[in-house]
Amino acid sequence: MDATRRVHALEAALAEETRRTDALIRIGEAVGAGRDAAAIVKAIVEGGIELTGAEFGAYVQVIADEGGERYLPYRLPGAPAAGFERLSEADRAALFASVFSGHGPLRSDDFLAHARPGRSGQPPDAPEDPRPVRSVLATPVISPTGAVLGGLLLGHGEPGRFKPGHERIVSGVAAIGAAAMDALRLKMDSLADAEARGTEEARLAERLTFALNAGRMGSWALDVDSRAYEASDLCKANYGRRVDEDFGFDDLVGSIHPQDRDRMVAAMETAIRDGSDYDIEYRVIWPDGQIRWVHARGRADAIVPGGSAKRMAGVSLDITERRRAEERQQLMLNELNHRVKNTLAAVQSIAFQTLRTARSPAEFKDAFEARLLALSETHNLLTRENWEGASLRVVIGSELDALGGEGRAILEGPDIHLSPKAAVAMGMAIHELATNAVKYGALSVPRGLLNVDWRVRQGCLELEWRESNGPPVAPPEHRGFGSRLLERGLATELGGRVELVYREQGVACSMRLPLAALEEKD
Amino acid sequence: MSEALAGKRVLVVEDEMLVSMLVEDMLSDFGCSVVGPAPDLDEAMSLASTADIDAALLDVNLAGKPIFPVADALKARGVPFAFASGYGAAGVEGDHAGAPVLQKPFRQSDLERALTGLVGG
Repeated sequence: MDATRRVHALEAALAEETRRTDALIRIGEAVGAGRDAAAIVKAIVEGGIELTGAEFGAYVQVIADEGGERYLPYRLPGAPAAGFERLSEADRAALFASVFSGHGPLRSDDFLAHARPGRSGQPPDAPEDPRPVRSVLATPVISPTGAVLGGLLLGHGEPGRFKPGHERIVSGVAAIGAAAMDALRLKMDSLADAEARGTEEARLAERLTFALNAGRMGSWALDVDSRAYEASDLCKANYGRRVDEDFGFDDLVGSIHPQDRDRMVAAMETAIRDGSDYDIEYRVIWPDGQIRWVHARGRADAIVPGGSAKRMAGVSLDITERRRAEERQQLMLNELNHRVKNTLAAVQSIAFQTLRTARSPAEFKDAFEARLLALSETHNLLTRENWEGASLRVVIGSELDALGGEGRAILEGPDIHLSPKAAVAMGMAIHELATNAVKYGALSVPRGLLNVDWRVRQGCLELEWRESNGPPVAPPEHRGFGSRLLERGLATELGGRVELVYREQGVACSMRLPLAALEEKD
Repeated sequence: MSEALAGKRVLVVEDEMLVSMLVEDMLSDFGCSVVGPAPDLDEAMSLASTADIDAALLDVNLAGKPIFPVADALKARGVPFAFASGYGAAGVEGDHAGAPVLQKPFRQSDLERALTGLVGG
């Protein structure tokens, strides 16, 4: 080889080296400027073609997901489908197994000569392709973490076009592309993570606020050492404070009813000391003076795990309505118990006195039952009226009806409302009169008459019970339960006067009872 | 008849006629004489302050009003008393928590025991 030829060869080699270096720099710049995967792929495929003089270039993506690995050609917008892209996925996997497994580049001087048909039964090139791929240079694109991202495939219609130098430089291009794609993926992942995290946090916070508001729950937090106290708007509202008012820990403790304050402070101290649940109901005094009930729950923990500094957080709920309902219920239960006990004592009294006057067990049974039912009848009346009382006319009418005296009596008088207690007493009194009338008096014979009339005079009820047309009446030898109940019991209980007269023409009873006693609430 | 109670004068304050009739009968059986029964606070106060009595049986709740002013008046005079209540001992509080409480309905023997305790029989 003469000197001139050597110089020419050196010059050509130098020019080639310069061209490659320039190309690599351009590729590096293009890859670096790639804002998305498509731009990076485009830069390395075009760079590979330029550096090797290849006729075709393609990039096959390795996608690992739950369905295993897939090998999909990366379609570049506007680029014609190269020969490699017409291969089936299975053929691609089989032909380029060493590349996709990351074992290294595959260089072939004549791909057709040693390539075996894939499962599709087709050679790498479809028959209609006018330029089958002969020279192949396939290079894995491996991320810095070692994962095979894909393969850069270059091809030429003539055999023997790719040299070891091409293999090395394309490996460099692939490495640049891999690094760029990895950086891009990391960036995208962290952006997506941050976005997802932000959205999730915002959604949780919104849902929490909504739930707290829907449940009328205030939330609060306390820094135990500094006593810094934070209360939500609803929490402030539970203590009668406006949203814009300051409400610190001292305000909280100060707003608690003096009788409940020590209990609250002790509960809080226990919860902080033991890490136990803070769960307490207490009364609070609002700035406007009204007393409300609040249920507070919370728990204390260390601000930093294992640290000694503690914080406490929880919720508060206005439970005034529930508390008042409980108080009303308790009051009603007490009242019910009181009434039942008094009624039992009344029944005891009826039994005690009926027993004293009865001449035989049969007589006791009949009289006791009748009196028990008279008492029960008045209770029925009162229950229908919600235990708010009963009308005098209805009380008299129902006791007469119960003894079959309906329609036999003429009742005349204004409407007078009796308290429950007066109704029970009047019911028992009328029962005694009616029983006597039905057994011995005017109502014991068909022609007998009964007039009950009443009026109000000087703040008193004046009631007259007059029997007539009955059998002749003789005064009893000794006064029984009925007359005692009328003249002593009723007169005493209602603070009035009751007179029972056994006239020959019929029993008469006059009552003069203060209205105040009849209407008095018990 | 009860030896310890015979001849004792007992004030009865009770606003339910059937109950006051019962108590009257029970006291009569012991040989006591009944003062009252007083069905309201005014009459009860007047009898508690002036009547000649050895003991008293007081209904705790008189037409919705607590009986305690009457108990105070009796205590001031040194007259012993017991309560009768539909609420049980829970209805009695404060200064009079030590007084015997008969829960309605009560046995005749319960009343006898309570009154005997009061008059030191």
